[in-house]
Amino acid sequence: MREKLVAMLDQGRKALEAADSADALQEVRVRFLGKKGELTAIMKGMGKLSPEDRPVIGALANQVKSELEDLFVERSRHVGELEMQKRLAEERVDVTLPGRRLASGSKHPVTLIIEEITDIFSALGFAVAEGPEIEQDFYNFEALNMPKDHPARDMQDTFYINDDVVLRTHTSPVQIRTMLKHAPPVRVIAPGTVYRRDSDLTHTPMFHQVEGFLVDRNITFGDLKGILTTFLSQVFGKGLEVRFRPSFFPFTEPSAEVDIQCVMCKGQGCRVCKNSGWLEILGSGMIDPEVFKAVGYDSDVYSGFAFGMGVERIAMLKYGVHDLRLFFENDVRFLRQF
Amino acid sequence: MIVTYNWLKEFVDFEMTPEELGHRLTMAGLEVDNMEWIGAGLDSVVVARLISVDKHPNADKLTVCQVDNGRETVQVVCGAKNHKTGDKVALATVGTVLPGDFKIKKSKIRGMESFGMLCSEKELGLAENSDGIMILGEDCPLGGAVFDALGLKDVRYELGLTPNRPDCLSVLGVAREVAAMVGRPLNIHQPNLIEKGDNVAELASVTIEAPEACPRYAARLIRGVKVGPSPEWLVRKLESIGQRSVNNVVDVTNLILMELGHPLHAFDFQRLCEGRIVVKKVAGDEVFKTLDSAPRSLNKSDLVICDGQGPVALAGIMGGENSEVVPETVDILLESAYFDPLTIRRTSKRLNLRSEASHRFERGADVAMVPLALNKAAALIEQVAGGAVCRGMIDAYPRPVAERKIVIGIRRVNQILGLDLKMEDVHAHLGSIGIEAHPADENDEELLVASIPSYRPDLEREIDLIEEVARLNGYDNIPVTMPAGRMICHLPPRHLKEVTRLSNAAVAAGFREIVNYSFVAPGVWDRIGLEADDPRRQPVNILNPLTEDQSVMRTSLVPSLLETVARNLAYQNQDLRLFELRPVFLPQREDVLPMEKWRLCAVMCGRRAPEGWGNNDEKVDFYDLKGIAEEILELFNVEKVVWDGSVGEPFLHPGKSCTLKKKQGVLGTLGEVHPRVLGNYEIDQPVYLLDLDFDQLLEAAGGPYAFKSLSRFPQVSRDSAFLIDEDVPFSDVHEVLNKSCGKLVEDFILFDVYRGKGVPEGKKSLAIRVRYRSDDRTLKDEEIQKAHDKIVKTLVSRLGAEIR
Repeated sequence: MREKLVAMLDQGRKALEAADSADALQEVRVRFLGKKGELTAIMKGMGKLSPEDRPVIGALANQVKSELEDLFVERSRHVGELEMQKRLAEERVDVTLPGRRLASGSKHPVTLIIEEITDIFSALGFAVAEGPEIEQDFYNFEALNMPKDHPARDMQDTFYINDDVVLRTHTSPVQIRTMLKHAPPVRVIAPGTVYRRDSDLTHTPMFHQVEGFLVDRNITFGDLKGILTTFLSQVFGKGLEVRFRPSFFPFTEPSAEVDIQCVMCKGQGCRVCKNSGWLEILGSGMIDPEVFKAVGYDSDVYSGFAFGMGVERIAMLKYGVHDLRLFFENDVRFLRQF
Repeated sequence: MIVTYNWLKEFVDFEMTPEELGHRLTMAGLEVDNMEWIGAGLDSVVVARLISVDKHPNADKLTVCQVDNGRETVQVVCGAKNHKTGDKVALATVGTVLPGDFKIKKSKIRGMESFGMLCSEKELGLAENSDGIMILGEDCPLGGAVFDALGLKDVRYELGLTPNRPDCLSVLGVAREVAAMVGRPLNIHQPNLIEKGDNVAELASVTIEAPEACPRYAARLIRGVKVGPSPEWLVRKLESIGQRSVNNVVDVTNLILMELGHPLHAFDFQRLCEGRIVVKKVAGDEVFKTLDSAPRSLNKSDLVICDGQGPVALAGIMGGENSEVVPETVDILLESAYFDPLTIRRTSKRLNLRSEASHRFERGADVAMVPLALNKAAALIEQVAGGAVCRGMIDAYPRPVAERKIVIGIRRVNQILGLDLKMEDVHAHLGSIGIEAHPADENDEELLVASIPSYRPDLEREIDLIEEVARLNGYDNIPVTMPAGRMICHLPPRHLKEVTRLSNAAVAAGFREIVNYSFVAPGVWDRIGLEADDPRRQPVNILNPLTEDQSVMRTSLVPSLLETVARNLAYQNQDLRLFELRPVFLPQREDVLPMEKWRLCAVMCGRRAPEGWGNNDEKVDFYDLKGIAEEILELFNVEKVVWDGSVGEPFLHPGKSCTLKKKQGVLGTLGEVHPRVLGNYEIDQPVYLLDLDFDQLLEAAGGPYAFKSLSRFPQVSRDSAFLIDEDVPFSDVHEVLNKSCGKLVEDFILFDVYRGKGVPEGKKSLAIRVRYRSDDRTLKDEEIQKAHDKIVKTLVSRLGAEIR
């Protein structure tokens, strides 16, 4: 019996080691360890042994059983691992093949810049307002201290619908509409489409502006510098030099043109900045008392500032677009870059 | 306005470098648009003498010259004709780089060696044109740099002036600003005028019949002049600021105009009938020929200068052909006047006739400059054109312009600027540009009374002076602060928020946003085939469009989108998904302003998925765009929309389009673009288009979705396929299904539509999957079967469906 068990252990071990699949292993297990298996049969015959032999042979049978079971587990793990390896190898894909894409959409760069500007001013506590694109002369000019026959009207070539209705030449009429509706304090920006009768390499008859203004007590020119400097450093990055220089707008006084250090050459002088090292980026100023008069604000109590900027210009400088007309050609090769 | 460094120095003594001056001018509000160095890098162009001039042996039109450059004699081949032995000339020596990047090299011209070039004024950048080479004066030192010898080294500043600064439309005005910068006096030289002979009053007269339009008119008479070319210094001075020389008399008036900013006009006195000048408004409509020979139609609002007979000049704008100075002129009546800005502006604008004179008068000339400009010009004419200046000056000044006084408060200055200036600071700043000021009364430490000089018509209010103080103090010196104020909360208008939401949805669906001009050609309505009585054919018209193609405001976004599609296809950009979300403009009879209604227009064409190995090449169809429309409606929670295929748009395929309706409102249309319209745009593939009324969409939008709790129990689905008549629309099936679904049905989907083998002609097979689930239990097979049987039975009885 002992010899039988020893031989069985040897056979079982060999069989398990020879099995190279889960099915084959299972077969071996059933053959030796199954309910009708060879080892089970031996163990069933234990009763026939003498009382002296029984514990010795019993221990040996148990030892053989446990050894075979251990071996089975170990072999199962090994074969499972091999099978997994084989499967994984077969399933390998070329990860360098391009991915499967869906059609991707995009916003127009003008919209992106308006959203960026709006976000910055929202964080500074400015609300957003809108106004009509076809506007009355009163809001577009008159209330902004540009009476008819004023030379300042030459600064903006205007499209007329009739004598009193124009395509707005700037977003400043929103300033008037807002101030007529709300008492100070007001902090508002007004993005929108504007029109000027001008078309060449650097002008399109339609473009976009963002107007902004703030009116409260004790607002100074220093505050104007503070807000606009903060804004520009958010858009173009910190460390960029900003300068304010005297200019003229009928609806602000004192007025300032705001320049930033040329983003192309970092102020060294290049074609884009006409070798000056500076780029005009914003018009601004303290709101003129005449404007306050037109909207019924008391300029002895309140003061404020206003500013306006061209969206396409900022987009061109920020993205390095060299040709303004691209914004309106809507070539997908252009649009997909934003 | 152009000024030069050297000319400014005639008025102010300053030490700034040209670059520094340019920067300071810009920072003072006189923006330097362009700076140009005259004669820079041209020290190697030297004064040389022609020792001999011989014919070139191999060329008729060339000469071979021996030239003494002060150190040696060199040979130069020259193509000019105006030079002779002994002349002093400008020799560009080998190595010189002339304007235009023209490098002078040692060369051989038709076999003769040439060591340099004899230059013309044009080649040296001194004039626009020149005949022959430059012949220099005898006093030029041999071997010296030509630009030094002629005193021509200079820097030209092109200033972009704002319309509020007419005072800076002259060298004098700019010099005043420079003087303020450096704190030095402004030197205005009085002319040395010698009067001779008769008194002008005995020979000529001035009558002002329109004193409101012409408050002042002064004149002098210069007799016996000889009109001819100007002396070289005068030509050069005008050229230095980009003006061309005409003749000595005209040049003088131009010089004074540029130097003092005051326009003058010279009449041929003998051509003035009765020697009279009458300033008046035009009596009735008449035609007048200005000196550029153009006939001008005048009316009652125009101011003219007349002689005893009729108009001889268009006041402040341009002289008349009938009285202009000609080569034969001997007696000159010189006008120096001040005209009302608005009068000049109206006429000049109406006639579209702009001149240096009108530019200044309409912005406001200096009434006090009238006599000085006249005297200076008279003295100069006598100097360069001979003749004698008659005694006396006619100075008709019926309405003296009163000096303006403005009170400026120190507290206000500091309040607006955020500075801490003292009274003496403000006083000094104003004084630096010639504005005298004194305290309002002896003990007042707050208010200053400023007297505004007549050359600053723009200074009318306290705030104007505050700006001057800010400017002169330097914007750079105003501290950067942040405003302190009360908090306010204004949320963005709903419209704006929803525009962003809708455009985000379009982008998420793979569409690219485009921006087209708001104006289109009037013919676009024909191109998209609108009916003759379509209200969209009545757009808002632009009175003064740039081109016909941009002359009417859009009443629909459709034409622009189709154009964009065509353009992109022409660039081989295929598989397009584009949208535009912007207003259209609809005229309103009862309102001053048209209505601006926002619309979303989206188009798609080409492949459904981007081209590539992993995708098939299936093209988009009607249902792709409909799916996107459905998603948009779902996003805005718009329920119960009817897709009405019986009405559409003329630009859509009648069989593949529909109108989106909710109750009475039309949300928009959707469909394949009509093949004929595609033909009009030369588009050769199907394009699908969605045109939504944004306001209607917002109106139809429901509130936010209410949350529905989630069932924890399993879902079971049952599929059924059935045959149905081809002409039964799915909406009928949908309705029946909707009504017959009990509370066990979670949802149902149409998962197949099939025609063909196994399906009889005139029928279609629809396959429906109904999903069952309960909130409170696991459903039993029998109850699901019962519910499903009921649905099937209803389909059969209500729609005549036949179960497959």
